[in-house]
Amino acid sequence: MLAVLLASLHDWLVAPFDYGFMRRALVASLALSLAAPPMGVFLVLRGMSLIGDAMAHAILPGVALGFLFAGFSLPMMSLGGILSGLLVAVLAGSVSQMSGQREDAAMASFFLISLAAGVMIISLGGSSVDLTHVLFGSVLAVNTTALVLIASISSLIVVILAVIFRTLVVECLDPLFLRGQGVRGSLVHGVFLGLVVLNLTAGFQTLGTLMAVGLMMLPATAARFWSKRLEGLIVVAIGIALVASTGGLLLSYHFSIPSGPSIILLAGVGYIVSALFGSHHSLRERLLRRASPLGTPESH
Amino acid sequence: MSDQPARLRLHDLQLAQGNRTVLEHIDGEFRDGAITALIGANGTGKSTLIQGIMGMLKPIAGRVECRVPKERRAWLPQQLALDLTFPMSVEELVMTGSWPSHGAFKGYCAAHYRRGREIMARLGISHLAHRPLGELSGGQRQRALLGRTLMQEATLLLLDEPFANVDAETVDVLMTVLRDMAKQGATIIVVLHDMEQLSRLADEAVVLSGGHARWVPVESFEHPDGNLPAPFLTQTISGVSAC
Repeated sequence: MLAVLLASLHDWLVAPFDYGFMRRALVASLALSLAAPPMGVFLVLRGMSLIGDAMAHAILPGVALGFLFAGFSLPMMSLGGILSGLLVAVLAGSVSQMSGQREDAAMASFFLISLAAGVMIISLGGSSVDLTHVLFGSVLAVNTTALVLIASISSLIVVILAVIFRTLVVECLDPLFLRGQGVRGSLVHGVFLGLVVLNLTAGFQTLGTLMAVGLMMLPATAARFWSKRLEGLIVVAIGIALVASTGGLLLSYHFSIPSGPSIILLAGVGYIVSALFGSHHSLRERLLRRASPLGTPESH
Repeated sequence: MSDQPARLRLHDLQLAQGNRTVLEHIDGEFRDGAITALIGANGTGKSTLIQGIMGMLKPIAGRVECRVPKERRAWLPQQLALDLTFPMSVEELVMTGSWPSHGAFKGYCAAHYRRGREIMARLGISHLAHRPLGELSGGQRQRALLGRTLMQEATLLLLDEPFANVDAETVDVLMTVLRDMAKQGATIIVVLHDMEQLSRLADEAVVLSGGHARWVPVESFEHPDGNLPAPFLTQTISGVSAC
C-alpha cells in the first residue's frame, strides 16, 4: 500500500523532472521565484501594485524589436526589453514631473502606447504563434542560454536589492527623513524601477511579458495576509512563489496545459486562500476576531 | 554660551512660496544649546522658515548659515511624511536614526541596539518596542520619532507643533528630553501655539508677523500678574487657536 503511494507520488512529483526541459524550466522558475516576490512586496508597500503591470507592457516593444532584428534570440530580446522598459520609466517620470500630472497617469498612457507598438511590431515580422509566445511565454522551451541569462539576472537583482535594502526601506517609510540625510529619493526610486524592469525581462521568456508580473505581485499581495513584518512578507511571498512555480510546472506537465498561466493561476489560488484563511485581515480572522484581554504579554 | 557665533544664523533672508514672498529681511541667530519658540498666527510663515532652514526651500535672497552637518539636522514636520502602514516596529524606526553613523550598508552592532533600547526607555516606550507603527497613538508616535532624532544625535532640531494631539504625560516626557538635548548643546527650534507650553519650555522666542521676525525674550510672554501674555503680544498671537 505504502509502496504504491510512494510510487505514485514519485510519478507525480519527481518523474517529470527526469526530462531535461522540465529541469531547466524548474531551475528557471525557482530563480525567478527568489527574485520577483521581494520586488512585489516593495511595490505593494509603496502603493504601486499596478506599476508592475504597466512596466510589463513597457518592455514589449523592445522585446518585439529584438525579435524582429535577431529572430528568437533571448539575449537580444531581453536587451530590447530592458531598454524600452527603462525608456518608458524615464519618460513617464519626466512627463509627470514636467506637467505635474500624476506619475501613474503618465505611466498608464505610455504603457498603452507600448503595448500597441509592441503588438504591431511583432505582427509585422512574425506570425501569431510568435505573438502568443512573447505575450505568454513558454517555460518548457527554456534552453541553456536562457537559463544562464535568467539565473544571472535573478542573482543580480537579489544582490542589488540587498545593497539598496536599507535605503529602500527608509525611503518607503519616510522620504523626508532620507532627503534630510542628503540621499536623493528619486535615485533610489529609479534604481528600484530599473530592478522591476530587469525582473520582468528575466521573466518574459518563461512566463511571457504579460504573465511575468504575476509571479511578482500575487505572492506579495497574498503575503500581506500572513505577516505584519517586512522580513515575514518577503519570506512568505518567496515561499508562495516557489510552491506555485513547482506546482504549476507539474500541473502543466500532467495535464498538458500552458505552463505560464498554470503557474500564475496557482499563485492566484494562493492569494485567494490567503485572503480567506490568512492570519491577518483575512475573512477568517474577521469572523473569529477576538482581542486579547489587557495585561496579556504582547506577541512579537 | 560662548564667544563663537551661533551655528545657525540667518542673513537678510527672504523666502517665498511660489511667487508669493512670505518672509523677508530676516536677520538673527539661534543660540546653541537653547530652545527657541517660533510663534505667530497661521500663515505668517513658520513652516516656511523651517523649510528654509532645512534647505528644502531655496532663499530668494539672503542666506541661511548653518554649520550643522546635514545628517545631524532633524525635522519633525506637522504633516508627517511617515508611511504608517509600512510594516515596521518602533524599535526599527528608532534604529533608522543611526543613518549618520551607519549609512545604507553598515550593520547595527549590539552596542547600537543597546543604545536604541536606552533611548526607548528614556522616552518611556520600551514596552512598545515591537509594536507596529500603525498601532501607535499620536503621543506614542511622537515619542518614537523623537527617539529617532536622539539616535541620530541631532544637534539641530526643528519641531513643528510637536505637542498637538499629544497627551499631557507625553508632553512632559518630550519636554524633559528636549531640555536635556539643549543642555548638551543642541539648537532646538519649536513651533508653538500654547503660551503655557512656551513659558515652560522655551529660552527665547521669535515672533513672526507681517513677513518679519522679531527676537523677544521669553519673559515678555509672562504678564507680571499671571501667565497671560504681555499686551504687546496679544495682537500677534490673537487668531491663534490654543492647542
